[in-house]
Amino acid sequence: MSRRRVVVTGIGMISPLGTAAGECWSALLEGRPSVAATPASWRQYAETTSTIWAPLPPIDWPAHGISRIDQMQLDTSGMLTLAASTEAIRDAGIATSLADPKKKTFRLEGLSPERCGVFMGTGVGGITSFYGNAVNHVMTPLKAVLADPTALPPMPLRFNPFGVPAMMPNAVSALPGIRWSLGGPNLTFSQACAAGTVAVGHAFRAIAAGDVDVALCGGAEYLGDPYGGIFRGFDIARTLVTEGSDPQRANRPFDRDRTGFLFAEGGAAVLVCEEAEAARRRGARAYAEIAGYAENFDGYSIMSIEPSGTRIVDMLGAAVRDAGCAPTDIDYVNTHGTGTAVNDEIESAVIDRLFGQKPFVNATKSLTGHCIGASGGIEAAVTALSLAHQTTHACHNLEHPIRDLRFVREAGPCRIDTAITQSFAFGGHNAALVMKRIV
Amino acid sequence: MSDTAIRDRVASTIVDVLKVDADLVGTDTRIREDLGSDSLDSVTLVMALEDEFGGSINDNDAKSLTTVGDVVSYISRRVEEKSLA
Repeated sequence: MSRRRVVVTGIGMISPLGTAAGECWSALLEGRPSVAATPASWRQYAETTSTIWAPLPPIDWPAHGISRIDQMQLDTSGMLTLAASTEAIRDAGIATSLADPKKKTFRLEGLSPERCGVFMGTGVGGITSFYGNAVNHVMTPLKAVLADPTALPPMPLRFNPFGVPAMMPNAVSALPGIRWSLGGPNLTFSQACAAGTVAVGHAFRAIAAGDVDVALCGGAEYLGDPYGGIFRGFDIARTLVTEGSDPQRANRPFDRDRTGFLFAEGGAAVLVCEEAEAARRRGARAYAEIAGYAENFDGYSIMSIEPSGTRIVDMLGAAVRDAGCAPTDIDYVNTHGTGTAVNDEIESAVIDRLFGQKPFVNATKSLTGHCIGASGGIEAAVTALSLAHQTTHACHNLEHPIRDLRFVREAGPCRIDTAITQSFAFGGHNAALVMKRIV
Repeated sequence: MSDTAIRDRVASTIVDVLKVDADLVGTDTRIREDLGSDSLDSVTLVMALEDEFGGSINDNDAKSLTTVGDVVSYISRRVEEKSLA
């Protein structure tokens, strides 16, 4: 089949040159840059070598469809994205209709939602929102410090000159690429709690398509800031476990008495994936075969799973089909299993609906806690090890299961030919890998 | 600020956040049960009230507010104490 042609039909743009594509274009043609002195307030903190920047023009957010509530909830990077997308869709002449007045969502007329994707990149996403919270968090005890300077919170000794490359999300891909001199595609995926699963999935696809023969893939995260500000971000969103009478027993995915997820300081898992025949030729041991992958998007809420679980069922079905299997072939489900009320309720219903009571079910996060972007990589590794060793770990602390599934209550031998590991992320990203035993 | 002005501003903030009909927002209306506010809505509503009246509302105070009337009394008291704008 010949490659399909691709055309651009709409453009939206906000830049220092203007708040619409036409304005930006005119300024470009007219050679009118945006240059101004950096804010005087910045100079209180440091004398910088450069003292100019390209500021954005004032933006009338409501005119771009960004309400007062949006402005309280969203980072500016998100508001810029929404505003530019609104202009682009309008520019493309695509009619829209209101889908949900409360959520202020729309439908694109004449287009099938499942056939429309979003592919966006960002250097550091919502870093200024994080910075804002971090400053509020760190400054709060400073009020007391004014009376007692010895009570200063810890401050790094220097402003790290490697702060930018240390902070950029793509460092987790670039660093191993540099360390191991790898010149093929080097991509970073940023789907919150599903990022590791998505990364392994795309590595699998790249090898399957012949784009690469070997891939390092997985996920990495570190969230242990010295001020507890990152932890607080999850805590205030009411996602974290409350310790109860016994902290050791508090983290209990799929249990009636679960209260949230156990925040992990961090972690990383990297898998080497290879084309099977080449691996066999070099005499490599294989833990498992990655046989299928699927991903989709809820299109529902930035923080909650879509309650019917229909999109997740669709995605899991697609992953199983991609592996050439039927749902009845699945012997083991390595769940997302966070321990939050909503996640476990929906996930257990989805497993019941699609896989029934046949497969072993466990939650790696019941032991590791939630390593966010690393968790998908860790759980892919656990799934491969479970297949290789024909044994898997228990769903720790599970006493009163919320559903009659075949939860692993004690670690031990189990026959697993085909397994699935699944992740669902803040934002609405769903992804799953199907793995098979090497025979 | 008069109690009526506070009541009107609380009601319009609730309408803005929850996208409900203004007629549904009475003194005895329960924000969660009657207006369908979920936990994300509750957090947003507190932010919007902080934005509307200036200042901060702590988590424990926020949790104690069940009805529209509770919110109005709470804001009135805070305004009287001059701990909100």
